[in-house]
Amino acid sequence: MIEVSGVTKTFRTDCLEIQAVDDVHFAVQPGKFILIFGRSGSGKSTLLGMLAGLLRPTKGEIRINGVDISNLSDDKISELRAKEIGFVFQFSGLLPTVTVLENILVPTLFCKKSPGSRLRALELLKKVGVSDRADAYPCTLSSGEMKRVAIARALINGPSLLIADEPTGDLDVDTEYEIMELFRQLNREGTTIVMVTHNPDLIPYGTQTYCMERGKMVEKPGSSSFIKCEPGLDNHPKPKDLP
Amino acid sequence: MKKEINYLTFIMAGIRNKPGRNLATIFCFAFIAANIFSGQYLISGAMRSVDQGITRMGADYIVAPVEYSVFLRGSGPDNTFAIVNTLPSIYRVKNNIMDTIGNVQGVSAMSPQLYVSTLNLPALSSSPVDVFGFDPKTDFAIQPWLRQPLKHPLDQGEIIVGHQINGEISSKVQISKYTYTIAGRLDPTQSGVDNSIFLRLDDAYNLAATEGIVNPLAPGISPGDINAVLVRIAPGENPDTVGANIRRSFSRIQITVIGRHFTLDPVSKDIEGLPLLLNSISVIIVVAAFPLIALIAAMVAHERQREIGLLKSMGAKKNVIFSLVIAESLFLAAIGGIIGVVASLITLNILNTQGILNSVLLVTFRMPSLTEIGSMAGLALLVVILIGSVASLWPAYQTSRMNPYDAIRNEGK
Repeated sequence: MIEVSGVTKTFRTDCLEIQAVDDVHFAVQPGKFILIFGRSGSGKSTLLGMLAGLLRPTKGEIRINGVDISNLSDDKISELRAKEIGFVFQFSGLLPTVTVLENILVPTLFCKKSPGSRLRALELLKKVGVSDRADAYPCTLSSGEMKRVAIARALINGPSLLIADEPTGDLDVDTEYEIMELFRQLNREGTTIVMVTHNPDLIPYGTQTYCMERGKMVEKPGSSSFIKCEPGLDNHPKPKDLP
Repeated sequence: MKKEINYLTFIMAGIRNKPGRNLATIFCFAFIAANIFSGQYLISGAMRSVDQGITRMGADYIVAPVEYSVFLRGSGPDNTFAIVNTLPSIYRVKNNIMDTIGNVQGVSAMSPQLYVSTLNLPALSSSPVDVFGFDPKTDFAIQPWLRQPLKHPLDQGEIIVGHQINGEISSKVQISKYTYTIAGRLDPTQSGVDNSIFLRLDDAYNLAATEGIVNPLAPGISPGDINAVLVRIAPGENPDTVGANIRRSFSRIQITVIGRHFTLDPVSKDIEGLPLLLNSISVIIVVAAFPLIALIAAMVAHERQREIGLLKSMGAKKNVIFSLVIAESLFLAAIGGIIGVVASLITLNILNTQGILNSVLLVTFRMPSLTEIGSMAGLALLVVILIGSVASLWPAYQTSRMNPYDAIRNEGK
């Protein structure tokens, strides 16, 4: 359960003050697939950064499973990230110096040792459909494969929340479809997902959708920028260029 | 089945990723370690040379029958000599003169020697061989010249041979009816010692009693006979005063007291500035290399912002990031240090075997012992590891405190 109340984030430079996120409130129930839609610069990535504990809010409170992460120490937040949060970036986010399998195993270094993590990594690779690339280095993978590996890595420690920041932003339509299907499958299996996107075509994938404009969370049912999708409906978009 | 991932895998992967830069860093560390190690090695070797030279100076005085002086001869171009052994002489005294010498103030050590005979021993040398008896327990003149220390105190039936005498260590040598075992060999002395053999006094008396050993024209050798007593003066004592006192203590026996005419002082003075010079060079190199290594560490940390940000986003704590940066630097330092030490050890050994160190240092270079080499290598490694860790402290601290969000988004800015 995630509760965001009155969260504001202000970036200050010598001559400029930018309110990236402005008094945002929302809650995410376990098992939901939340889509936060908005244009570039609307503050959605900043909000995601705060949800993941990568950024501290200037004001407000973020509670994950009842724990207010806004005031946690760096080490406590790191611990929480390692155990409870998986993060998928817009870019691949893979470490170029280690293999695909080792990339997936990296987060296990920061969690209490659990035996069989290698086996679990191999299972995840199979689940995301790149089991044949376990020993490959990231530079030899396609964009789609990289994204699949990044998703597998985000899931290795069994997080209760998967956060994805424009995960399909750099993908072609076919691959975007495959990745979104993967997210949907994960959500159906019980993973709570919060994803931001600027692509309105992806909105039907969410079980709950929010829109961000100039740092504010807007929830206007019926407006063009807000669509609420009922779970279980096959309302995802098909790739436009498929026959 | 392969092992699970660990921090070492991760550090090694990071190092492999930038071979050029890491090789340059390793080279820096290797250069520092080589410099420190070589400096210590040369200082220690030169000091050992001087120390050994001093121990090989033998006696300060030789106390012998008065007739002995007619046999006095020099071994160098200026007729200088270091007293290592008595000279072949048929004039002898009884060993109780040592009681008198021992009572003279300023005498720190004394050891008797006996010239037995000069023998033709073709199996040992093409030239006639001088045979001497000495007391291994009190000796301070012969044994410092041993090429390798004896495995145990010289036993009955064992001998020490000069540089030019044939025969391997542990091989048997037959002299008259006695069989001796070669227990040690001396370094070259450029004197008659090179063509001599030395046996215990008791063995020498037994051999002398054998028919045909002592020249029939010379007086026979009885137990207790010696040719000379080698005397060493205590440090700080005035040699002239002690020599005069020895002379005065023998009123009834006619003896001569002969002093040595050779000193290592000029050599000691030549190399006394060497440690300071080499240590100064090491300090300058360390001081000059430190900012360079710190700069490289800072560059590495900056270059890997995104990677560090990713690790933090996956849950890496500050201390993990700090340790990773330090560990990578330590690893490079250790590798560089080992390479530097090994390379300089090989180079110095080659230079030593070629005799180049002797001519550069103006003394016979003596290789330090394995223990000394070990501690020098340890010191060099410790210094580079310290430099590596201290130089990367600040970058590691900064990196560990880096905001992951900024690190991921602002890489390279």
